Amino acid sequence: MLIPTMIGLLIFRLGPLLGSLAISFTDWNMLTSATFVGLANYKEMFHNPSFIQTAKNTFIFSLIYVLGVMFLGLSLALLLNKKAKGIGFFRGAFYSPVVTSAVAVGIVWSWILSPRIGILNQLLLALGLNEVYWLGDPKLALPVVAVIQVWKMTGYYMILFLAGLQDIPDTIREAAIVDGANGRQRFFKVTLPLLSHMTFFVLNVAIIDSFKNFEIIYAMTKGGPQNATNTLVYDVYINGFIHFRLGYASAVSYFLLACVAIITIINFIVKKRWVKSQY
Amino acid sequence: MGKVPVLKDDTPMKRIRTVIYYAVLIVAGIITLFPFLWMLLNSFNSEGNIFSVPPKFIPDLLGTKQAFDNYLRIFKEFHWGRYTLNSFIVAGSSAIGQLFTCSLAGFVFATMRFRGKNLIFALLLGTMMVPIQSTIIPEFLIMMKLGWLDSYLPMIVPSALVGSFGSFLFKEYYENIPPEFIDASSIDGAGPFNIYSKVYLPMSSSQIATLLVISFMNNWNDLLRPILYISSDKWQTVTQALTQFQSQYSAKWNLILTGSVLSVLPILILYIFMQKYIIESSISSGVKG
Repeated sequence: MLIPTMIGLLIFRLGPLLGSLAISFTDWNMLTSATFVGLANYKEMFHNPSFIQTAKNTFIFSLIYVLGVMFLGLSLALLLNKKAKGIGFFRGAFYSPVVTSAVAVGIVWSWILSPRIGILNQLLLALGLNEVYWLGDPKLALPVVAVIQVWKMTGYYMILFLAGLQDIPDTIREAAIVDGANGRQRFFKVTLPLLSHMTFFVLNVAIIDSFKNFEIIYAMTKGGPQNATNTLVYDVYINGFIHFRLGYASAVSYFLLACVAIITIINFIVKKRWVKSQY
Repeated sequence: MGKVPVLKDDTPMKRIRTVIYYAVLIVAGIITLFPFLWMLLNSFNSEGNIFSVPPKFIPDLLGTKQAFDNYLRIFKEFHWGRYTLNSFIVAGSSAIGQLFTCSLAGFVFATMRFRGKNLIFALLLGTMMVPIQSTIIPEFLIMMKLGWLDSYLPMIVPSALVGSFGSFLFKEYYENIPPEFIDASSIDGAGPFNIYSKVYLPMSSSQIATLLVISFMNNWNDLLRPILYISSDKWQTVTQALTQFQSQYSAKWNLILTGSVLSVLPILILYIFMQKYIIESSISSGVKG
């Protein structure tokens, strides 16, 4: 009964995972046969200025993404953690970009941000300001794409924080009110500390999620201009399937995997400690 | 819910706070929904009107006989019907496949004992974290060897055969079913597969709905597998076709936006009706997984 899962796990997950590792030690372009080159791909990677930029881009993207979704997600969750009319509608609306494909999101925002015809630039011109090349300026493109991804995913983090807020017992909040704590004190001294476990888990989810930006970059900038929005996941695609440098692309994919693994392991260790400390 | 702050219009102060509260929500709502609305409005613009400066908020085709011109063109000239059918087949088969593999796996992990069970389950959950880019190159080579390129198979099979989130979802639920249920039906001489299909599966309708919806959405929105595996027009999914459209007809924004509307519409309809399941699953996959 476990046969489908086992086949899937072996052929499409574990097998390729080892396969990638093996390929990363080779020089291979699919046309000729693979030659073993040891760690040469990894050496090249760390000396390649374009890879260093890619790693830097990934880091900047992640930083903007993680800070953005955590701050906005928590803010929206706090706004919605009340009983007020229309809350259900707003929660549903804020979550809707999460289910929409990143491709459609990327296309619509490219349209809104485009020079001359885009509504945002027309607005700037109408206000007497200069238009901005949101996606054409190598300095701006990466933060702009990251912000669009924040726009798309904030609703997801809002739901996670809402779940955390609803786990805080009302009795604690009531006790704080009885003790005369004002709104700000209640938030910083009661809500936030009680939310700290949740915040840590959300942070981990957000960091791992921040690496998954292939679709939005494909739809908005294709890594450009001048490599400015090339990130690790996109670099694997470009090297593997545009330049057919399978060995090098696999090495990049293992670097990516190592980043994800480190975050996951930290998460795992801290989680274990907390579970112990509760008893 | 004891003293969750309830907004009442008691005093002027509170009334002002209520106004500010809703103002903030409405601004956030506009920022969230405006791109969807702008996309929808512009899909009713003609090719000339879409570039007008300043932008026209009332599309010129709306209310005329040509209102659905962009929509008709995209189906007639650009095979949008075929792409939509492909997306439904790919996303639908993946979802149904996942339902079977995941519910079976969840049942096995929850009810049976065998050596290596924990290891297999750990690997299943562990590989959930692995970015697809770390396995896609060998996966591509496998698909090439199997001769599956340019068909539905490479888009369906890998996701239909194994699902970490789904297996976890069913395992969690089945573990909490009281053992009396198994015993009663075991006495009747039912084998494990019968117990699964007659007792467990019918009890998990909410998990079934969740998994079907999530899996359908993920596969509908997927881009990497289609762009790697599909090169001929007739197998393209909606999501892939949209990116092709964008690069080939970069000046025809009215058609690109019409395609975008059509690509998100099925998912948004699904979302509106299945919101409860989708939102609950985002909590369980994020927090517990």
